[in-house]
Amino acid sequence: MELQTLQLERSGGIATITLNRPEKGNAISMLMVRELERLCRQLDDEATDRIVVFRGSGETFCSGIDLLDFPPDEKPDVRGFSRWERACRTIERLPMVTIAAIDGECAGGGMQLALTCDARVATNRSFYHLHEVRDGFLPGMGTFRLAKFIGLGRARFFGMTGRRMQAAEAEILGVIDHLCAASDLDEAVKTTVAAFGDIHPDAIELVRRLFDESFEIAYENFLGCFLAAQNRAIQTDAFKSLIKRAHEQGKTRPRSL
Amino acid sequence: MNNAGAEPLRPRITAVGTANPQPTYTQDEVLELFRCDDPKVRRFFESGHIHKRHLVLPEQGPDGIVPDENGTELLEKHTRISLEIGSEAIRKCLANSPYRADQLDYIAAASSTGFLCPGLTAYFIEGNGMRPNTHRTDIVGMGCNAGMNSLLTTASFAAANPGRPAMVVACEVCSAAYVFDMTVRTGVVNSLFGDGAAAALVIADEDLSATDGPQVMDFESCIVHAARDEMRFDFEEGKFSFFLGWEVPYLIGENVRTPVFDLLDRWGLKKRDISHWIVHSGGKKVIDAIKYNIGITEYDVRHTYSILRDYGNISSASFLFSLQELMKEGVTEEGDWGVVIAMGPGVSIETGLLRW
Repeated sequence: MELQTLQLERSGGIATITLNRPEKGNAISMLMVRELERLCRQLDDEATDRIVVFRGSGETFCSGIDLLDFPPDEKPDVRGFSRWERACRTIERLPMVTIAAIDGECAGGGMQLALTCDARVATNRSFYHLHEVRDGFLPGMGTFRLAKFIGLGRARFFGMTGRRMQAAEAEILGVIDHLCAASDLDEAVKTTVAAFGDIHPDAIELVRRLFDESFEIAYENFLGCFLAAQNRAIQTDAFKSLIKRAHEQGKTRPRSL
Repeated sequence: MNNAGAEPLRPRITAVGTANPQPTYTQDEVLELFRCDDPKVRRFFESGHIHKRHLVLPEQGPDGIVPDENGTELLEKHTRISLEIGSEAIRKCLANSPYRADQLDYIAAASSTGFLCPGLTAYFIEGNGMRPNTHRTDIVGMGCNAGMNSLLTTASFAAANPGRPAMVVACEVCSAAYVFDMTVRTGVVNSLFGDGAAAALVIADEDLSATDGPQVMDFESCIVHAARDEMRFDFEEGKFSFFLGWEVPYLIGENVRTPVFDLLDRWGLKKRDISHWIVHSGGKKVIDAIKYNIGITEYDVRHTYSILRDYGNISSASFLFSLQELMKEGVTEEGDWGVVIAMGPGVSIETGLLRW
């Protein structure tokens, strides 16, 4: 697959997708949106990777959407945003563990991309902001996601003022899961990958969905959803083999393979 | 227009009509009419997924309680109400189509909530002014998935006979398969099912397009033998009493991926290519099981839930009620794919592929 705005590297079950427009701060163009969606679908179809890592080329993760994609003399069209949101949802539902590896600026749509991932690893010089409201438009469905991470009050102030959040603060607020020195990002990604251990795609897909839905469903409904999901998880070979090992080892919680 | 290698002409579902008997009951009203105080039974009614159902219940006695109906009365009710609501659904469906009853060449009728011989089609043909040489098929004892089994025979007729209109009608008088003995067993069943009928017109005609309705492309069935006795009628004291095992929603969840993904694979489709999911409103648990096993969203099953909420589980007619909502909604576009999933005794999972 020919890629102009992205780079793909695959090794050892890890696919690394690099936003590759360094001269533009890795800004998200319509071409990048289309390439992201196509690439994620390809990874989904091939199902050979366990982990997908998103990075930015150079010392920036992503500076947000590329406003040069709006022709100066035409009526602005919202469909591009729709397409971008669809790409984010595709990423959020990939049947692999997704990790954002962030250095430098992580702004607007870039921040949303990071929030769609299962984990965020970042350098201590990384910083975050949603500049859109100050510029007179909206930070996409980042509005939907951010408040779940940092709480409504903080999200509102952060989104309305466009203020910068430094890496240390982002870690305290739970936006960043793993903070590292600027030179250690590769190592930190490896540590985070290892933290996920054996990856059971069914369990990953289901738990991600349940956590997401925990914000919107009443307890009684959620309980039914959980039971349906858990029944799927315990019918997998992974669970059956776990039970077999428990009995073999005589242990309530056996060692993993 | 029989170009070699050309896509075969697929039948389309071009019109749907539905009908229900007049009276509706909230869950609280049903509990009141049967004077049910057992918290174990009340729990099923109070889960909140069903707001109201259409049911045909006998007049209250002087004590305010609904009297018991014997087997003969229940069968008579099944026939009488089926003919009422079935005929109304057929009339409404025809009114949504360019056809008159006497132009129909085929009719399949599904019903599992009562048994009669001759079958419902004999009455429908006579009572609705269809021709005496209309082909007919009665599909009985197949339960909630029977609407899909009927659609399969109807679509097969339509595909083999281009230009000749065929009709499928699903008629369920669940209140005629009613045994209320205050046990949990009958409580589960009586808190869930409602009465209703749905008819759909199916025709293969090359002049039709996506705006006329979806093409019926393919079917895939799956029977789970291990669960054969988990959903069944027992014949007790001259009445059919339905049994629904607690495991059924989970067993369906565990098995539903097989027919759905086999169906998609056969057409080289991915789940993300499916824009519309028409899922039988079997109950909250089984809808959840399908949602989390196929990986479809609350939005995908919005009509499934709304039909469950407003009508309960109307057995074989349910998925046509959902399809009608989808067709009314106007969100379908040419080229969109849809998947139908219906499940019932067998345990059976019947799936179908639609294309607008």
